[in-house]
Amino acid sequence: MRDGINMARNGIPSVCLITEEFWPQAEFVAASVGMPDIPMVRLPHPVAGTGEARIQAIADSIADEILDRFAA
Amino acid sequence: MSALLEEASEEAALERLHALDCTDGLPVVVPTPERVDRMVLASGLDADLALGEMGPAMGVATVEKVAVAAVMAGCLPDHMPVVVGAVRAAVDPMFDLGDMQGTTHCLAPLVIVNGPARQGCGGVASGFGALGPGHRANAAIGRALRLCMINIGGGRPGVSDMALHGHPGKFTYCLAEAEEHSPFPPLHVSRGYRAEDSVVTLVGCEAPHSVIYSDDADDPENAEKLLHVLSIGVANLATNHAILRHGTAVVVLNPTHADVLAKANMNRETVAKRLWELTHLPAADHDRYAGGFRRPLEAETYPAFGSPDQLVILVAGGTGLYSMVMPSWGGGAHNNCAVSARVELDQFCEVPGASAA
Repeated sequence: MRDGINMARNGIPSVCLITEEFWPQAEFVAASVGMPDIPMVRLPHPVAGTGEARIQAIADSIADEILDRFAA
Repeated sequence: MSALLEEASEEAALERLHALDCTDGLPVVVPTPERVDRMVLASGLDADLALGEMGPAMGVATVEKVAVAAVMAGCLPDHMPVVVGAVRAAVDPMFDLGDMQGTTHCLAPLVIVNGPARQGCGGVASGFGALGPGHRANAAIGRALRLCMINIGGGRPGVSDMALHGHPGKFTYCLAEAEEHSPFPPLHVSRGYRAEDSVVTLVGCEAPHSVIYSDDADDPENAEKLLHVLSIGVANLATNHAILRHGTAVVVLNPTHADVLAKANMNRETVAKRLWELTHLPAADHDRYAGGFRRPLEAETYPAFGSPDQLVILVAGGTGLYSMVMPSWGGGAHNNCAVSARVELDQFCEVPGASAA
């Protein structure tokens, strides 16, 4: 979350990818630093360690949403 | 000025604080304005003085807000200078408090007190059972820092404090060094302070793990064997140090074990260096077990700690068989380093009728 915030602060368009379990923390951190509207996309949890095929499937399922958020 | 809540009774006020998630789950002393004012007065500092920001909420730790936490934790005004010192260390950007609160790893700031404040601030215990329970100053000071982390830093389980399990030291985690029973100079002197200074050193670390070693003065390898078992405890393959290859760990030697090392002509620095050497682990183990944290390692072994400085050695506890090791995390921009801050006793104002004696 903080990586996305820091990139956005440096003027680099950013979308934060947040897994379901960490969504409340992401909202908390975004509000704490005064960027509650920073674009976030929700991922299932967990992602790490779930195998290449599943990670590829997750990537396919959110790719369009990420592009939409950049375009918004 | 902090917001004022009103309730008809102490009991109702306590339940309100629980309902607002302002406690650690245990009963607190209700922070009435009178109690908070007395704690601020003891600090000798302005109520509005900002000590720094506490993450992840980035709340401003004013002296008054710290005093609220100190009252809630059950502190005496005598304890307040150490609480303020602990908060000064926690808000140091080197401490990465916001990241520490947000990680899924279980770590809590261990508060280590050195110098005259050990006696002058309500008697911070360093001997038998120093990590509790039963020592009021230790219990209250450590808890005050935790309540600051909850109410100023915004650390709440599953929302902003993402530790998967937490650990009991997250209620309170404070001890003094047993300087009078240590063969080594005090920890704060080794860290560059004067012996007459009072200093709080914070290290974010796991719960204490016991290390048993039976001293044998006739064994020429006595010290080396002790160091070997300590090294296994502090950086075994299950620790973050072995996997992430970062972080600061604490070794709390009991006075018996400290004497074993001193009799081998070792001091804090040579103990740390030898432990650092002994915590070089097989690269093959890293390659097999580090999973997503695996990195190519060229040599046959690799250091679990970046340098001997990342092993904080102190002396505390009763005499006997057991020392303690606290492995840690290794995350954050500054790799989970130890941070010290002075305890400003010259500002302390004794509040009549409010000390322990």
